[in-house]
Amino acid sequence: MIDIVFLALSFFAIGGALAMLLNHNPMYSALGLLICVLSIAGLFALLSATFLFMVQLIVYAGAIMTLVIFLLMFLNINEEDMPEEPNKHKYMILAAIVMIPFNLVIIKAVSNLPGSDLSIVSEGFGGIKDVGMHLYTDWLLSFELISILLLVALIGTVVLAKKKKSRGAK
Amino acid sequence: MISLTSYAFVSMTLFTIGVMGVVSRRNVFVIYMSIELMLNGVNLFLVTFARHHLNLDGQIITIMVIAIAAAEAAIFLSVIILLFRSKKSLDTDMFTALKDKESK
Repeated sequence: MIDIVFLALSFFAIGGALAMLLNHNPMYSALGLLICVLSIAGLFALLSATFLFMVQLIVYAGAIMTLVIFLLMFLNINEEDMPEEPNKHKYMILAAIVMIPFNLVIIKAVSNLPGSDLSIVSEGFGGIKDVGMHLYTDWLLSFELISILLLVALIGTVVLAKKKKSRGAK
Repeated sequence: MISLTSYAFVSMTLFTIGVMGVVSRRNVFVIYMSIELMLNGVNLFLVTFARHHLNLDGQIITIMVIAIAAAEAAIFLSVIILLFRSKKSLDTDMFTALKDKESK
């Protein structure tokens, strides 16, 4: 049963990613990436990371992808605004050929590891209590630094999105 | 049947598709989404190994990556708005404001 769920989720993840790569219109690309992100959330749930499943749904699918789709609609992109990509397929094949050795090395290394059953852990591991305890004790410094980073990003966005006129008046 | 290798295969495939998008496409939005896809592939790898070792550090690093992706989304998209306002295009080859003029 879980095998079928895994196969379906990975099929949708890779299919969504390919749809993102191959569609000319960025709107369809965003929808393909949305499917991919949702399937990855499902894979997180299969790996018994329940908190990350929720975070992936809320932050990626709910916030980031919604922001991208909102912007695409907001900018009202016409056909002539989009670049022509005459050499697209050539570069894609080139990049794939470059990446194949890395993939082979990593998959070979991973397949030599001692196997373990990746079945769903019944309780505890990956839940919000465990992750929270870990985050606020062992990773406290990183957590604070990340919050400062988010604050800086917030201020930077406001500064960037301001009208040019008000910057000149300062 | 589900082993570490199958999860590794899925995440490496996602990462490779992201690299292909960054290299081959010229639309700024698609390049941004390819970067997000690469981050997602790495996240899947981290969570897989967190489950494999029953160790939560991988999941915490994934939370950090998601937070950085959110900050990156905010900055990247506001820069895209500025560029689209000034150039009226999404073509990355149009954005040459910082390029050396003599080398054109």
